[in-house]
Amino acid sequence: MSIMKFDAVKIGDTLGPQEIHLSKDQVRTYARTCGMDVPRFTDDEGARAEGLPGMIAPGNMSLGMLSRLVTDWIGQSGARLARLGTTYRQPVQPGHTITLNGFVTHVEPAEKRVEIDVWIENEDAERLVIGTASVEFP
Amino acid sequence: MAVDYDPALIGKVFEVTDPVNVSAEDIGKFCTAISETNPLYTDEAAAKKGAYGGIVAPPSFAVTFRNGRHFFTHVPRFGRAGFDAGKDVEFRAPIRPGDKITLSSHVKEIYEKTGRSGSMVFVVVRSTVQNQNGEVVAHIDHRFMNRP
Repeated sequence: MSIMKFDAVKIGDTLGPQEIHLSKDQVRTYARTCGMDVPRFTDDEGARAEGLPGMIAPGNMSLGMLSRLVTDWIGQSGARLARLGTTYRQPVQPGHTITLNGFVTHVEPAEKRVEIDVWIENEDAERLVIGTASVEFP
Repeated sequence: MAVDYDPALIGKVFEVTDPVNVSAEDIGKFCTAISETNPLYTDEAAAKKGAYGGIVAPPSFAVTFRNGRHFFTHVPRFGRAGFDAGKDVEFRAPIRPGDKITLSSHVKEIYEKTGRSGSMVFVVVRSTVQNQNGEVVAHIDHRFMNRP
């Protein structure tokens, strides 16, 4: 893979799509690894008792996947993820296929900074999580 | 509905957490949990030649540190339990194996918003994540949504 250069980045460049079949085990592993071992993230019945449709992924896990989408795009270019903001609009449920997406919305040559829109969508193209990221190039 | 809270709460830091040691193993487990394969985070030899001169944690590791057990007893609640509405994270420095991380948090703002589904109260908790050198690793603004 070639190393991305700031000068080559254009508005509209895409990140992903990365399709992920999110399993219940993956969500449990994340929750347990990160000290979020509570029923809504580990067990369907416990989650339903809290009024949820079933197990959901922690917001931090969605943030982690979107962060990974951006750092995958950065690759070995030496650029860094400087900021990531997320909004959780609907629960991300394991047992579904989700897709990570992004595209470049702004390029700031003076600061060698790139602004990116990112989101997670489900099979029905509903945006469950939306966000914005800033990447700084060396 | 008027949002009623003590304005003196805003900005007050109630405690700084005890340092949490970050080991190479912790970073490895986190990478597994988010299916991370980038050599900057997973391969010591490759990471040595990279931008950080050694393995660092993926940026989102910064949001996994937790507030002290009593922190949320100081945060006002409105109606039913808060729902995680989102985070805004400013990444300032990488977290490396061997780091000792502390978290200090305060309520940054409280505001009301009316959406299609009615009234909501947002509480924004700002956490500053620091390493053992006093260097700020990240600022995290965490939005909690409450339905009165």
